[in-house]
Amino acid sequence: MALRVRIASILAGLAGCWLLDVLCRGMLRESEQRLVVLAGLYVTLAVSLNLINGIAGQFSIGHAAFYQIGAYTAGYLAFFYYGRLPLQGVPWLIAMLFLGMGTAALAGLVVGLPSLRLRGDYLAIVTLGFGEIIRIVVQAIDLTAPTGEQVGGALGMNVEPRIRIVGLVWLFALTCIAVTRNLCKSSHGLALLSIREDEIASAAMGVQVPKMKVAAFMIGSAFAGGAGVLLAHSESFISPSMFPMDLSFIVLTMVVLGGSGSITGAVIAALTLFYVPEYLRGLKAPDGTALTATGASLVGWIVAVVAAVVVVRWLAFRFRGTARQRAMGYLATAVGLLVVGRALGWILSSVPALQQAEYEVQKLRMVIFAGSLIVIMLVRPEGVLGRHEFSWDWLARVLRRQRAREAAG
Amino acid sequence: MVPGAGLSLAAALDFGTLPSQIVNGVLNGAIYALIALGYTMVYGVLRLINFAHGEVYMLGAYTALFVSWAYGFRPDVPPDQLPESSLATLLVMMLASMAVCATVGVLIERFAYRPMRNQARISSLITAIGVSLLLQYGGGLFLPQNPPPTMNERVNPYRQTLELTLVGAPQQLSEVVEAARREFQAAERTFEERLKSEKDQFNLSPEGQRLRDAKFEAERRLRDAESKLNSAQVTVRVGAGRLAILVASLLLMFLLRQLVLFTPTGRAMRAVSQDFDSAALMGVNVDRIVTITFVIGSALAGAGAMMTATFLGTSITPYYGVLPGVKAFVAAVLGGIGNIPGAVLGGLLMGVAETLVIWAGYSQFADAVAFVVLIVVLLFRPGGLLGSSAVEKV
Repeated sequence: MALRVRIASILAGLAGCWLLDVLCRGMLRESEQRLVVLAGLYVTLAVSLNLINGIAGQFSIGHAAFYQIGAYTAGYLAFFYYGRLPLQGVPWLIAMLFLGMGTAALAGLVVGLPSLRLRGDYLAIVTLGFGEIIRIVVQAIDLTAPTGEQVGGALGMNVEPRIRIVGLVWLFALTCIAVTRNLCKSSHGLALLSIREDEIASAAMGVQVPKMKVAAFMIGSAFAGGAGVLLAHSESFISPSMFPMDLSFIVLTMVVLGGSGSITGAVIAALTLFYVPEYLRGLKAPDGTALTATGASLVGWIVAVVAAVVVVRWLAFRFRGTARQRAMGYLATAVGLLVVGRALGWILSSVPALQQAEYEVQKLRMVIFAGSLIVIMLVRPEGVLGRHEFSWDWLARVLRRQRAREAAG
Repeated sequence: MVPGAGLSLAAALDFGTLPSQIVNGVLNGAIYALIALGYTMVYGVLRLINFAHGEVYMLGAYTALFVSWAYGFRPDVPPDQLPESSLATLLVMMLASMAVCATVGVLIERFAYRPMRNQARISSLITAIGVSLLLQYGGGLFLPQNPPPTMNERVNPYRQTLELTLVGAPQQLSEVVEAARREFQAAERTFEERLKSEKDQFNLSPEGQRLRDAKFEAERRLRDAESKLNSAQVTVRVGAGRLAILVASLLLMFLLRQLVLFTPTGRAMRAVSQDFDSAALMGVNVDRIVTITFVIGSALAGAGAMMTATFLGTSITPYYGVLPGVKAFVAAVLGGIGNIPGAVLGGLLMGVAETLVIWAGYSQFADAVAFVVLIVVLLFRPGGLLGSSAVEKV
């Protein structure tokens, strides 16, 4: 049974990636394909950081460094060796993928070693520092090619050739998910979980804490490095400014927002947090100009959201009633939010100063992003999915319950 | 960038300027120390890395800018109509910055951190990151940034450079310099008198040309003698404004020390940082102490921001606080986070290390050195320089 499910999952994954590739190539423009690729890379980053952060409990906030190491491994090697080796096209990309994973894993070893001595915030700041050091060093180093050309440095470098295969990127993301998920289910994964819960107790139970910690770091960073290789060859251009500290923070946010330790949560959060700003960027008014929001409607929405947060927090943490009543409360709050937001915007539009101030939604998108981060953390601190995972068993159970209810009713 | 510049050894180190550099490093470090104090105090009581601290610092710089505009130092005012600046102006600017920062800090604590207090620490950390991003991007919407404004340099009444000779040059050398200077002045005077009698100032007669060459020759000798004198003596050159930063920072740090060590509030603060729950059980009003911690930490950041904006004249953007914030946080961890003298020590070390790296010619690595120092220190002392690496009890 288990073997059959597993084989079926692998086949479904392969078929899904192939289908995605065909669909993207057939239906999407270049720029949209690029977004699908980036989404896959973000999923890989979030899931691999989830392994270090959520499952092993090692507080790492320098994930962009491994991403960058992978990207620059591919960039430099492509510059110096592409065309001189018998590898071309996709085989080259796959070879690079493994090399990038290797170098990033090596870097993960270097960062993982201090984690043996450091805990919590101290480890966090060392990983942050490592990320910054990598970025600054890459920025400062110019290599000179035999042709006299400058490679790398602050201005970035071109990576030839451009190989953008949506299916391969998502296959890599799925591999990352599968490896993490299977690791979790194995005894090694249990060891990691026990380290997260209590390091001393798990050491007392015979878990090899140092080895497991470093292994988690190396696996997580290897996948980030692979994502970097795919990024370099898909964008065909890399520069140090593509890997800022903020990127590490955003990936960390994806992990925590989805629910620290939940792979499903990391995937969902990565997709949402990636697409929401992109969606806001693309928003246009009906007449084709950039969509703007007046100060009045902005203030109205802000007030409504703050009020809704207060109500939802009360419902979630203080309310003593049945689950049904609480759910009704959430629904009423959602409706109330829409009504109050609109109404306040309409009332405030009578204030001329607020009505005349106009802001482009495109410029607002990062503000909305940051604001929704705070709001989600305030109303659901354990992340959207908590520690729940999606599984076929769970789906079957839900469906069975549904059918039982229908049969009874 | 010059090819390979990043890796080649710097051509020559000028050891004569080393004392100056160290003093300047200490002065830079004073600012880091001021910001680091805010990080370390908040961490001490809440065990929370307040990522929004750098943005509070940024708002402090903008407040100082707006106050200076209100005083009439607007960028569109022609230089000859600018008002006179004085110590009182600076004091008002600093107080305004401190007040605004303290208010912002308290609001952030009340509405973003306090609701998260009983949750997992990583959740409050994400909230802190969210607040930081919100202030950065929100600031980008509402604050003037295009072009990035700078504080008018006339706001700063202390613009002169102070010079202190540590090791004097031998008497002979200074006599040589004096003689060369007299010679040069004489040659210059003769040449200028000659110039008045010349018909065509751009096409000198042979006699004029001879005098001009003599003048240049005398000038070259003077410069030679001066550079010999400079390399023989060791002087420290410091901008007076930077010295003002140091004095003000030390004063603020001294006040903070007195407050923490000798007042009931300070005692309560120390109690909360030792054990949050026990302090509450002993009747300490924990919420009030946390608020006061945010007030003090943010006000110190505001003072630091006002001083850097005024005396160092960097342009102000919504991202003004990111790098100083990160570096100050590194300084706090370096000294042992949660430890107040540690933050000061870490800040000063960081400033000196950074200035020395720039002095050695590796300015492109200046931002990285903070982290290298940190990692090396943490490998040997995992609790920071002054922090105790407490053994975890089972």
